[in-house]
Amino acid sequence: MKNIIYIIVFSLSFISCENYLDVEPIGQVIPKTVEDYRSFLTSAYSISKSHKLLTTYRTDELSLKANTSGIEQYEDIFIWNDLNPGPLRLDFPYASIYNTIFYTNHVINSQSTMEGKLLEKEQLVGEAHALRAMQYFELINLYAKPYNKLTAINDAGVPITTEYDSEKEYPVKTIEEVYTLILSDLNKAEALININQQTLGYNYRFSILAVKAFKARVYLYQQEWQKSIDAANEALAINNQLQDLNSDTSIMPSEYNSVESILALETIANFDLVNKATISDDLIAAYNQTEDLRFSLYFNQNPNGSYQSKKSAENKFKVSLRTADLYLTIVECLANLDKEILAKEKLIEFTKNRYTATGWNDYKTTVNTLNLADLKQEILEERRREFAIEGHRWNDLRRTTQPEITKIYNGTIYTLQKNDERYTILFPNDARINNPNL
Amino acid sequence: MKKLIYILIFIPTLLLAQKQKVITGNVTDKTKMPIIGASVYVSSAMIGNETKTEGVIESSMLGTTTDFDGNFTLKVSDNIKSILISYIGYETEKVDISTKTKNIFIVLKQSSQALEEVVLTGYQKIEKRKMTSAYAKVEMSDINQAGVANVDQMLAGQISGVLVQPTNGAPGAPSKISIRGTATLNGSSDPLWVLDGIPLEGNEIPKDFRDKDNIDNLQSYPIAGLNPDDIESITVLKDASATSIYGARAANGVIVITSKKGKKGSMRVNANANVFITQKPDFSKLNLMDSSQKVDFELLLASRSDLKYKQDRGDVARILNNYGEYNNFRDNGFSSISTDAQNEINNLKNTNTTWGDELYQMALNQQYSVGISGGSENNNYYFSTGIFDEKGSTKGTGQKRYNITLKDNISINNKLNVGIALFGSQNRTSSYITGADSYTNPSYYSRNANPYLKIKDENGAFVYDPDLLERDGLNLNYNILEERQNTNYELVSNSLKSIFDVDYKLNKDIYFTTQLGLQLDFDNTEKFSDEQSFYTRKYEQKSQYSTSNGYDYFMPKGGIIQNWNADGFQYNWKTMANYNTKFNRVHELDIMLGTEFRRNKRTEIHTKGFGFNPNTLTTILIANELALKNPLFNTYGKTYSENAYASFFGTASYTYDKKYTVFTSLRYDGSNLFGVNPKYRYLPIWSFAGSWNVYNEDFMFDVDAVSDLKLRASYGVQGNIDKSTSPFVLGTYDTASILPEVNEEVIRALSAPNGNLRWEKTVSSNVGVDLGLLKNRIYITGDYYTRKSTDLIGLRAVPLESGYNFINTNWATVTNKGFELSVNTTNINTPNFKWTSGLNISHNKSIVNDIEIRENDFKPSLKGYSVNAIFAIKTAGLDSNGLPLFWKNGKKVSAVDFYNLEEGTDGTQLTRQEHRNLYSYVGDGTPKFSGGFRNSFKYKQFDLRVLTNFNIKQTVKSAPTYMFTQAQPGKNYNTDILKAGTGNYPALIGFNSPGFDTDLVYNWFNSFDDGKTYNDLDIWVKDISYIRVSSVKLSYALPKKQLEKLHLSSLNFNIEGRNLFVLGTDHDGFFDPETYGSLYAQPIPRIISAGFNISF
Repeated sequence: MKNIIYIIVFSLSFISCENYLDVEPIGQVIPKTVEDYRSFLTSAYSISKSHKLLTTYRTDELSLKANTSGIEQYEDIFIWNDLNPGPLRLDFPYASIYNTIFYTNHVINSQSTMEGKLLEKEQLVGEAHALRAMQYFELINLYAKPYNKLTAINDAGVPITTEYDSEKEYPVKTIEEVYTLILSDLNKAEALININQQTLGYNYRFSILAVKAFKARVYLYQQEWQKSIDAANEALAINNQLQDLNSDTSIMPSEYNSVESILALETIANFDLVNKATISDDLIAAYNQTEDLRFSLYFNQNPNGSYQSKKSAENKFKVSLRTADLYLTIVECLANLDKEILAKEKLIEFTKNRYTATGWNDYKTTVNTLNLADLKQEILEERRREFAIEGHRWNDLRRTTQPEITKIYNGTIYTLQKNDERYTILFPNDARINNPNL
Repeated sequence: MKKLIYILIFIPTLLLAQKQKVITGNVTDKTKMPIIGASVYVSSAMIGNETKTEGVIESSMLGTTTDFDGNFTLKVSDNIKSILISYIGYETEKVDISTKTKNIFIVLKQSSQALEEVVLTGYQKIEKRKMTSAYAKVEMSDINQAGVANVDQMLAGQISGVLVQPTNGAPGAPSKISIRGTATLNGSSDPLWVLDGIPLEGNEIPKDFRDKDNIDNLQSYPIAGLNPDDIESITVLKDASATSIYGARAANGVIVITSKKGKKGSMRVNANANVFITQKPDFSKLNLMDSSQKVDFELLLASRSDLKYKQDRGDVARILNNYGEYNNFRDNGFSSISTDAQNEINNLKNTNTTWGDELYQMALNQQYSVGISGGSENNNYYFSTGIFDEKGSTKGTGQKRYNITLKDNISINNKLNVGIALFGSQNRTSSYITGADSYTNPSYYSRNANPYLKIKDENGAFVYDPDLLERDGLNLNYNILEERQNTNYELVSNSLKSIFDVDYKLNKDIYFTTQLGLQLDFDNTEKFSDEQSFYTRKYEQKSQYSTSNGYDYFMPKGGIIQNWNADGFQYNWKTMANYNTKFNRVHELDIMLGTEFRRNKRTEIHTKGFGFNPNTLTTILIANELALKNPLFNTYGKTYSENAYASFFGTASYTYDKKYTVFTSLRYDGSNLFGVNPKYRYLPIWSFAGSWNVYNEDFMFDVDAVSDLKLRASYGVQGNIDKSTSPFVLGTYDTASILPEVNEEVIRALSAPNGNLRWEKTVSSNVGVDLGLLKNRIYITGDYYTRKSTDLIGLRAVPLESGYNFINTNWATVTNKGFELSVNTTNINTPNFKWTSGLNISHNKSIVNDIEIRENDFKPSLKGYSVNAIFAIKTAGLDSNGLPLFWKNGKKVSAVDFYNLEEGTDGTQLTRQEHRNLYSYVGDGTPKFSGGFRNSFKYKQFDLRVLTNFNIKQTVKSAPTYMFTQAQPGKNYNTDILKAGTGNYPALIGFNSPGFDTDLVYNWFNSFDDGKTYNDLDIWVKDISYIRVSSVKLSYALPKKQLEKLHLSSLNFNIEGRNLFVLGTDHDGFFDPETYGSLYAQPIPRIISAGFNISF
């Protein structure tokens, strides 16, 4: 009798074993449903990267004072000392960007197994494509030469990874290959995404509007002028509002809740940039301080007379794309297509929202007298004023004229030569250590 | 008093038997040596036969044990015809008492199983002659020490191959135990503790247990609640064939604790009482400067214009500055400054605060336990209770433990046995609070506090240390007495372990056992710091924020109360079927099959309250939203974990002709591996072993000298899988706010998926010999082993393009090789004098065969060296200016050449590879040999036992006693600093100190040396060897005659000295050789105890 009981106990224990071992740990999950993957992608969106604010240190927008506490993190970036920087210098982001790509890859590659409603899945996977495109776009513009149609097919770009594999080699792909991936991702995103415009608070996520606007920027950087205009116009068809600073200066046009906001994702400043750096005299001089409504909106005067940025590390100042971008993109493309008149018209139309009435009249007069070459220069200047401290300047300098820049730091003059090779940033040390192909 | 009660309770049972006769007798073995403790009893079966009435319960009291001379006296009812005499290792004798009742002489015959000592593995009882694996067993009575709370410390030096290192001298501090070296680089190397078959759960001892972050952290450990007085014996399972039955958890060896149980015979009450004095440590060991030396040293610093580091600190500088005489002193010397200033400075020399007296104490402590045990044919019981109360030698530390143990075994019939055991304990450990930077750790603080600093002023108010600054201009007012008064840190661990056993014997060959063990642990930790404490003031700093007019703190005024409540539960249920048979007289076969299910759950809740008022017990809510972003001000946190395990196992053993035994075991371990590759769900662990009882061979028959000889060999494979790595993308929930006012749940990827992760595998082999000589008066056990661990899991750097910096992968290989030798001898054995010794020594050498170095590491790779290899920079004395010289390619070179320093560079000109090449291997941090030597002497009624343990050739590294570029007047130093500039001690330098390129050397060591090579100079490294006399115990047993008068069965008085002294290489600057190098460790206490043990 007794041994029968034992035999039963014995066999029962074998049978129930698989269930016995199924313990779902609290707080851990293997994403399965579209909701899980949404939370997973939100994680990717939330990985913050410092390249926008670090490149700002490299431009002519800031001025630094030696002996400020913590300046060691920025001074070598500021004076373009890339070859033997101090040990405390901050690295440009690399791992964090590829980490974001890891997330997007996983969402994209899980489309077939993801459980949930089709529309939600498509929206999510579309966003992942767009977010990935954005990461490669940032990488290629940090660590590779600006796009040049003639040489892109041979120019070294960055490694591409579209699925997780820690064992494989990561060779550098050409700039052309990277741009091809960016555009193919954006096209897929455009096909999959079904939300026209994200609601406030969620406008860090890609929408049809954001993908089109982003495409306009990619084409602009590729100097595909007409394609850029087309994409921008498609975007403007969804939202063409500009914030008229003559009637509303309660917020900056770059803030996430401005009517201009298209994608409010990237952090553009940090505490040190606001409090330990000042706005360069050069940039201050670029504004008509009395008539340009942006001046007092963007900058704060310190007791010692210098200026600091009002755009700060707060979440509300996150920005990647806004309608002003589209207008100025169109203006630039028109100018480059030698459509001088149209370009001027569009520029004047845009700036109406930025200058006082008097200021605008003067601006109109000035613009109308410009020849094409000067107009192109003026468009660049207008971008500089409009997007001050938003992380555009470095790329705008790189992709256009690559001018000479001089800076004085700690009593020494530093010069970035015209077309200096330091317009391309070196791969960070830890990236090179771990990938001998770089 | 208690004794009386017991007597009153139990006397009636003795009186119940109506008509009685007294039996007296003497029990010896065949050599006429008295047998002590033999059971003399009346079997219930006999009573059942003789008296049909209610004799069964009564009869359970009918028994006694023999005394020191083998004598016994037993009262039985008149109608009892015979009694039984039994003793382990001897055949039970039935003696007729129907006629002769007085002076019966009984000679017990050694049973054929006399040498068949049984080894309890926790799963099986294996006869010693069939054992094929390496194990060691000690009886608790041989190693028990007074004034020691936990059994782990008592194991130090007692068992070959088991290295026991005290982590700290604090009450309740665990000892780090490693059995046969370390088989892992990242994981825990703690052995598995097993109590009567149940593996215990508990916290791991931190790998870097001397680290300041770990050393002051109170934790409960698996065996902390167990009273050593309840332990019968300890068996350590060492090789794979012994441990593999325990599965993956046993990779670091197993320590099996067998608790005491009731013995057949009449009820026995045993009481132990000890009073022990924990002595104040010898503070002079630290070699610190006294006030006179320190004042002279400060004057020296002030006189040198090149030494500017924190030059305004210290009382001398303050006095000079007060009188405006600092520069005058520096330029013109002491005689030129004003008399008032001179007097004040001279007075300072005579103000000595003996920090040793302020921080350490002598403490009077107590330890008591009482046990009741007894048993009959079909029931035996053991109940005990104990109190252990220890105040540490560091003021404010202590441990108090209450124990209760209840065990009962019942034979329901001759087939079915049931056992129940309960172990309950409460353990209160108290300590001091230290902040995150541990400046206020008493050991650390006492090394740094100025000797002339007063603790209280004339009015009795606390004097705050003017030199304990957070930074220039910020002193948060530290006074160590105030801190002790106003802070409190306590861990209360309540633990209950219960074991339920059922054995069922189906027939002579087959039996079943099942065992259910439950373990419940409730650990409550509380840290309190009053508003008036340095801890609170320092915490408040972290809540600083800027406001329009300066800054403010969002932390409310009041105390801080922090609680950690951990609630652990586990059950372990195993069931086994055993088949033991013998056929054709020479074949013996033992087979066991079993299953084991285990589940554990742990919940931890951590709460923090600010603005705590100790009178109202209320806290204040933090309103400021900045607190939300600062994890230091999180007021609630909860974690929960649950694990399940299912295992299937079997062993088979075959013995031929009592000579040859082969043994094999196999176990499959399954566990909840959430998201782990299913192919790793069941982990096979197996072993194979054999032994040859050479002694039983015919050719040994004539070899008289040899009384036992056995050869053993084993081979086994153990494995482990990393549970944190999954082939899937595993996520953890979190929240994120990307844009204002939207808070979302997010899933963050936990770690990189890795589908290729393999088991960590350890292959062990062992060969051993057991040799008994001269009738086992000399017994030698020797073992040689190798353990090779391959595919060890560790973090490896991967291309960042993968999305990760590091992933867990199999990459390291470690080999341990070593030998163990233990020799037990009976040196002298006469009726009046007996001397026995036990020596054990072991050697373990580990080699890291393969390891990946990170490109940016400063230190060299361990590849080819021991797991605990120590690397240092070889110095070559000093140059004429006192700057260190180094060896490079066999030549003495300056720091400038050695580090390749150049004007204008900042030291980064050295690549990391070049930096690593600066180092040389200087020794192994694990002792080359370790072991212990035990001697027992018995002269008439006196017993003397001396326990020692030793470590031979261990390389140790201490923190530098001073930093030569940063000597400052604000803190005290080891007197080494007075030798700066002589011998190998670098001179004190500043940027402008004279000498060639001194500025370069200064800049390098002061600021640019990111790898901190100064800490690695070989002058801080040394080899130590020592032997510690851990216990000397003298006891006196009351002679039989007196005992009889007092109606006692035994009474012993004992005095014991623990940690009386250490012989060997000096360990100047530190309290103990075991904690050499740690600035934070509390001294290991020296204890004198006196006590007695009584039983009746």
